[in-house]
Amino acid sequence: MKINELVRILKPELFIPGMQSGTKPAVLDELVQPLVTGGFVRSKGLVIETLSKRETLGSTGIGKGVAVPHCRTLAVSDLHIVVGISKKGVDFDALDKKPAQLFFLIVAPPLDGNNLYLPVLGKVVESVRDSKLRQAMIAAPDFGSFLKAIQGG
Amino acid sequence: MTRNLIELMVLYQDLDLMLKETAEAEATMGFEMEGREKLRKAMDDIAKNISPRFLRTYQRLHTRFKRPIVPVQNDVCLGCFAKLPTSYGEKGRKDQMIYTCEQCGRILYWVE
Ligand SMILES: [Zn+2]
Repeated sequence: MKINELVRILKPELFIPGMQSGTKPAVLDELVQPLVTGGFVRSKGLVIETLSKRETLGSTGIGKGVAVPHCRTLAVSDLHIVVGISKKGVDFDALDKKPAQLFFLIVAPPLDGNNLYLPVLGKVVESVRDSKLRQAMIAAPDFGSFLKAIQGG
Repeated sequence: MTRNLIELMVLYQDLDLMLKETAEAEATMGFEMEGREKLRKAMDDIAKNISPRFLRTYQRLHTRFKRPIVPVQNDVCLGCFAKLPTSYGEKGRKDQMIYTCEQCGRILYWVE
């Protein structure tokens, strides 16, 4: 997957530049909310519960201040990515113990026609590897700046 | 748990697929995957809240289909693409009952 294919999936209404939550469950709730507002999910509770159970498998806090909570669930009909930025950071049980500041929530249906789920997940993980770009993404004040940052500044 | 029957069953299936499908690929991306047993236990707890009759229906279907519960869109079963009666959807969206596709027998979940 190319970065512009990932960028094409991102939506301004699914971008939260100033996350308020201070705990892991609150973060999941805050990230799912724009999907509910946008009418992208049938059941908010079901999505949150599936995401929480995914965390049981192992934290999606991948370290370096990034968390990628994700799941497949029948409660959505299409793949969606919600991007959230927390200035203060939230403990997400990451291996390196660093608080997470940059969140990518990825939800997809079990039957995803183009089979985008794993490629998208892989591309997101790859896109945050570069520390300069990561910092630029965390510092992005708006959607436009974020898109610029994720595409290499 | 206040969740209704169909949502519990959907949750059960989503977690079942989660354990089977993505673990290996995600591990190679650098995700921690240590909690398989914990997740399996969580699934057992969810199963306890599903009445045995419906759990049996799910398990019987599971021997034939990878996904016993399928979404319905525009009155079409996305398991076999049969057109369902519109009245089905009106009931299925709000009822606590479990509805199955007349053609393939899969359990239906109205996503919209
Ligand atoms: Zn069918």
